Amino acid sequence: MLTIKNLKAQVEGKEILQGLNLEVGPGEVHAVMGPNGSGKSTLAHVLAGRDGYQVTDGEVIFDGESLIELEPEERAARGIYLAFQYPVELPGVNNTHFLKEALNAQRKARGEAELDSVAFLKLIREKMKLVSMQPELLKRQVNVGFSGGEKKRNEILQMALFEPRLSILDETDSGLDIDALRTVSNGVNALRSPDRSVILVTHYQRLLDYIEPDYVHVLAGGRIVRSGDKTLAKELEHKGYGWLTGKDEAA
Amino acid sequence: MNTAENSVTAGTDLQQLLQIGQRRLSGGVGWLADARRRGAEQLASMQLPDRKQEAWRYTPVSFLDQTRYEAIVDGRFEALRLDDIEDLLLEQRDAVRLVFVNGYFAPALSSLASDHAGVTLTTLSGALGDVPAQIRARLDRIAEYRHVFAALNSALMSDGACILVSSGAQVQVPIEVLHVSVGLEEPGISHPRHLVVLEDGASARLIERYCSLGDAVYFNNAMVEVELGAGSELVHERLQEESGNAQHLSDLQVRLDERSRYRLVQATLGGAWSRSDIRIVFEGEGAEAELDGLMLAHDKQLNDVHLDVRHNVPNCTSRESFRGILDGKGRVVFDGRIVVERDAQQTDAMLSNHNLMLSRSAEVDTKPQLEIYADDVKCSHGTTVGELDHDMLFYLRSRGVPEAQAKRMLCEGFAQEVLDRMESPALRDRVGRHLASRLTTTV
Repeated sequence: MLTIKNLKAQVEGKEILQGLNLEVGPGEVHAVMGPNGSGKSTLAHVLAGRDGYQVTDGEVIFDGESLIELEPEERAARGIYLAFQYPVELPGVNNTHFLKEALNAQRKARGEAELDSVAFLKLIREKMKLVSMQPELLKRQVNVGFSGGEKKRNEILQMALFEPRLSILDETDSGLDIDALRTVSNGVNALRSPDRSVILVTHYQRLLDYIEPDYVHVLAGGRIVRSGDKTLAKELEHKGYGWLTGKDEAA
Repeated sequence: MNTAENSVTAGTDLQQLLQIGQRRLSGGVGWLADARRRGAEQLASMQLPDRKQEAWRYTPVSFLDQTRYEAIVDGRFEALRLDDIEDLLLEQRDAVRLVFVNGYFAPALSSLASDHAGVTLTTLSGALGDVPAQIRARLDRIAEYRHVFAALNSALMSDGACILVSSGAQVQVPIEVLHVSVGLEEPGISHPRHLVVLEDGASARLIERYCSLGDAVYFNNAMVEVELGAGSELVHERLQEESGNAQHLSDLQVRLDERSRYRLVQATLGGAWSRSDIRIVFEGEGAEAELDGLMLAHDKQLNDVHLDVRHNVPNCTSRESFRGILDGKGRVVFDGRIVVERDAQQTDAMLSNHNLMLSRSAEVDTKPQLEIYADDVKCSHGTTVGELDHDMLFYLRSRGVPEAQAKRMLCEGFAQEVLDRMESPALRDRVGRHLASRLTTTV
């Protein structure tokens, strides 16, 4: 489904990804772990197509098509979804309006019929149950005044709504208490299916107790330095990242 | 009519305009004579604003040199029917609507059907019967002529709404004053003059709108006086959607007596040149004023708001919040002046002006001014000028929203904070639609 070969990317002239390789198959959950500054979030943003993240070498192939030249909205329509580490507040933009416009923009780009308001509300109510979100949050401005947990739920709600083929969850566990973490994880697990894949970007092993990965990768210095199954995450928890990166880290 | 020749001849001479206008007005309504005389006298000693005057530094009136505006003669425009202005009407039931066409009251287009206890609606021209003594006594009472156009309005005023809400009356239904400008053979100048008086303890809602049929060239020189009695409350919603070729000047002066409340929400969206002068005078303790405004400056549009808020007495609160959206070579001028006099202790005043620039060629000239002569007050101001936020744009685009649509959504979000202050759903919808259609052609 996703093939990343020798990916090199710069941010403000500084090379962050330095030849990264990753293969994600349909239905697989991959955890990408690593110390701070290793390039985890850069990888997530490069995949989503953020401005200012310049790919200098390598390729990213999604369903047989190169992603690098595509605009962020074109990637979204093709089924790529990034759940933000820090979801952005959109003052004055109503949450329901936002969700509906986004879903319909994706559907339109794919040549599918747009949903009318009634069909949309029915769908969104169903999806909200999945993430135990308060219905009032639909009436509010996008993420404005939301608690950390509510913002993350809103991210997973969008994942449930858009039904992306590849979800990239950027530090979704950060700042969540145990109950919120469980709810968010349940939401992600409910969306697992043989043709949907997930990349979990995380610093800590904790999230992986709730969302069990098929593969675990360690990113350091802009490259994947070790891959394994979920036992690698346990090992990291005990040993830290130092033994892989050659640096001491008090994580 | 030889309009081609007019457009190349000299522009508008206000003194000449005054003389012609005065000749036509002679023998008009007697009780207006004093105010007209005062206007004419002051006009004689006033100059056209130029760039040396601080209040006009960024707002040139050079259009007067380029176009010769004629005083509009016949007021009735009876050919106009309700069908013709259907698109301009708000979808609201039971509303009272006074329609003015090119500055003159149009009974056939107005809707006074429902009777509302405590409200007396008349017009300066007397078309709706005698103007009550309470109104006559207050005409031109609080008006201060801060520029020649205000004096001109007084000197040549011939029609406008006179609204009196009697002591203690609670009027639920909004009272709408709708201006419609239609193109004439020669560019015209109108001087609508409105007076709104709320007696003690009264409450009402006023909707004041300016729009046009077609893209006519005209100059609307309006003046509105509002007097709020003790404990009264007025919600005032204003929407300026003039023709893209029009000049619009509105001078709004509000006097607040003790414990009265005034809430203004205005959206100035149209016109080639638009200026709102808003003067708020606190004359009684414990009064409150909240002013919110949305200013749109499309390519080559100039949109100016000048505030002059006078805290003359203690314990009053005022909040002023204006937002501008600019594109192309659009220009916004904002001047927010708050004066807290020496005796006005415990004043609480907060002023803000935020501007969103969609283009590098647009220009904002913003100047918040606090003049504080009291020593126990709470006053603040804040001004920002910025572009669309890149993180917000990326967030929307990463959700599949195309760039242009994402920009529109963020602009509408920026405007929404003003729209949310509007009480009339029909008005809010209209502003929303206007904004959406304008942004579609912009971004």
